[in-house]
Amino acid sequence: MKFELSEKQLGYLMVAPALLLVIMITLWPVAQSFYNSLFDYRLNDPSRSERFVKSNVDLERYANDFFYLSRDLEGLAGQAPNQDVADAATKISKDIEAYHEKLLAMDGLSEQYEEVEGRLASFTAISDRELKYAEVDKDFASDYKDFLTSAEKEITTLSQNSEDEAFKTASANVAGAINSSNRAIIESNFIGLGNYSKYLQSERMWKALGNTMFFTVASVGVELVLGLLIALLINRVFMGRGLVRASVLIPWAIPTAVAAMMWAFLYDGQTGIVSHYFEQFGLIRDASVLLSTGTGGMFSVIFADVWKTTPYMALLLLAGLQTISGSLYEAAEVDGANKWQQFWKITLPMLKSAILVALLFRTLDAFRVFDLIFVLTGGGPANSTESISIYAYITLFSQQNFGAGSVLSVIVFACVAIISTLFIKFIGSDLFAGRSSR
Amino acid sequence: MNKRPGIWFYIFLVVFVFFVMFPFIWVFLTSIKPPGEIFNNFKWFTSNPSLESYENALTNRPLVRYMMNSFIISSLTTIIAIAFASIAAYALTRLPIKFKGLILGVILAASMFPQIAIISPIYNFITAVGLRNSYMGLVIPYITISLPLAIWILATFFQKIPWELEESAKLDGATPFQTFRKVIFPLAAPGVFTTGILVFIAAWNEYLFALTINTEDTWRTVPVGISFYQSQFTIPWGDISAATVIVTIPIVILVLIFQRRIVAGLTSGSVKE
Repeated sequence: MKFELSEKQLGYLMVAPALLLVIMITLWPVAQSFYNSLFDYRLNDPSRSERFVKSNVDLERYANDFFYLSRDLEGLAGQAPNQDVADAATKISKDIEAYHEKLLAMDGLSEQYEEVEGRLASFTAISDRELKYAEVDKDFASDYKDFLTSAEKEITTLSQNSEDEAFKTASANVAGAINSSNRAIIESNFIGLGNYSKYLQSERMWKALGNTMFFTVASVGVELVLGLLIALLINRVFMGRGLVRASVLIPWAIPTAVAAMMWAFLYDGQTGIVSHYFEQFGLIRDASVLLSTGTGGMFSVIFADVWKTTPYMALLLLAGLQTISGSLYEAAEVDGANKWQQFWKITLPMLKSAILVALLFRTLDAFRVFDLIFVLTGGGPANSTESISIYAYITLFSQQNFGAGSVLSVIVFACVAIISTLFIKFIGSDLFAGRSSR
Repeated sequence: MNKRPGIWFYIFLVVFVFFVMFPFIWVFLTSIKPPGEIFNNFKWFTSNPSLESYENALTNRPLVRYMMNSFIISSLTTIIAIAFASIAAYALTRLPIKFKGLILGVILAASMFPQIAIISPIYNFITAVGLRNSYMGLVIPYITISLPLAIWILATFFQKIPWELEESAKLDGATPFQTFRKVIFPLAAPGVFTTGILVFIAAWNEYLFALTINTEDTWRTVPVGISFYQSQFTIPWGDISAATVIVTIPIVILVLIFQRRIVAGLTSGSVKE
């Protein structure tokens, strides 16, 4: 009994590291992606480069700007060409001071502000998020921002109306400083499901999703039929089996990006041999069609995918065929069943679980297609081959828009989850049968 | 079933293998043409073969460096993934723990996760810990791809190992860990090796993470490096063909040597025996 217990504990101990790793680097990031998708979160915009559920002040930036702003504003009244302008400048200066004091009066903020000022004075960058950002009241932040926006407008008008060159420059500088301080106050960029409603109405998103589904159904369908045919034909003893098997494995084994590069060369309108032969045989009207039209592009991508993965499909199905006992066919032969009947009554039913598993893996693989299309057509021409993964990649990394891009990631994830649930319903517990029971 | 294959069967085989291999044949024939002959020329064989494209492919871009990067990253990934996976797969197939179905389900689900769904948080994480443009920066995300795959395949192999050996080792007073090391591991070594090959190939071929995380040219891997041979204005097909041949040769050798094992590994998860 004691031995059994420790063996069990050891079992958990042995599974734990792998399970933790899997959770840390797949489940946790998916949760993060979902969280990111709720924000207007952009890496290339300083006021949105973090996720803020509450309003915040970027103290590093604010303290720096405020130092110059208060100095310049006080000086501005002295430079004013007439009393009205001087009064206006003084009033803005006083109001800003009031807002500033209100800000510092908040809980613990004055100490934090001093600390930040100290760092600024010694020219050290602040990497500690806790120190850099201070949470502030939502209403206060929006009031302060509104005030700064209108103050900037007012001073810009004063600057434009003035004829005094020196005042013109000084006031333009102040307007710039106000604008900068304004951007240091960051309102929450939490927008809930806003990104989702935007994408669910986006034509480009639906087009990309449609492209992905078309690609998946067409390529997996062709691969299944061709793969099954090939598997049936080579399911026998013949010379050179090893050679055939090796040649079939090579397309599967080379990197997809390398295969895509090869096909880009073969499809090329000027030097591509495949497009040249297609033109010669009258399949396309001229050699450039394959990569420069939407239909041609989609065909090219599917054709390249079929070339790369049909052999793999054939291998999986061949392994399934080889588990069917020959005596079944002998019995059917005795009963007078012809080849066609044998195929439908014996081969297909016996092969069902192998087909479903192969289909599951291939469908999921095809649905998240990225490198093949990215390298071969780049999603073009005119987005006609853009898959949902490519659209997500462009939004995430070319536009640096992590909030919106995460929505697309979540959509891919949801589709994959739905597809696998459907398949696993069909496959049932077969998938686990051999493994989970002792 | 046991019909002797006739002449038509072999003709079919030759045609089939020719179609499968055609892109490689054509790319190879292009790579030995002098670069001037490539454009608008559909002659199969050149009359004056040259190695100029190979020279260009190796000098215009750091192809050798790409291959070294890919080799180091894929090897590290394989070693780490196999170490964790073999321990976990052993416990899952052999030790009396609960929730096996659930754990295997989570692992299988993780292997189906689309990479695009996890890339932005991983990118943020790798950037935050300062691992952009390094080997570990790619090894960490590659474990996401390879660990579930490795556990799944290894669990199948471990399942096939006869039980009696383990029982008798236990009777002789071996601890579970000793059983694992002295009985299971030698028997499982072929399966572990096969899984290692599959994990290595998967890591070697990965594109999306390599593209986003290692953006400096000297840290690129083979698939990303090859896709960057084309510039904005010209596509040097000669260089690309030669580079493709160079990076394909190691894979062809790997496949020729280990084809039996690879097929066994690929089909182990999908067929019940």
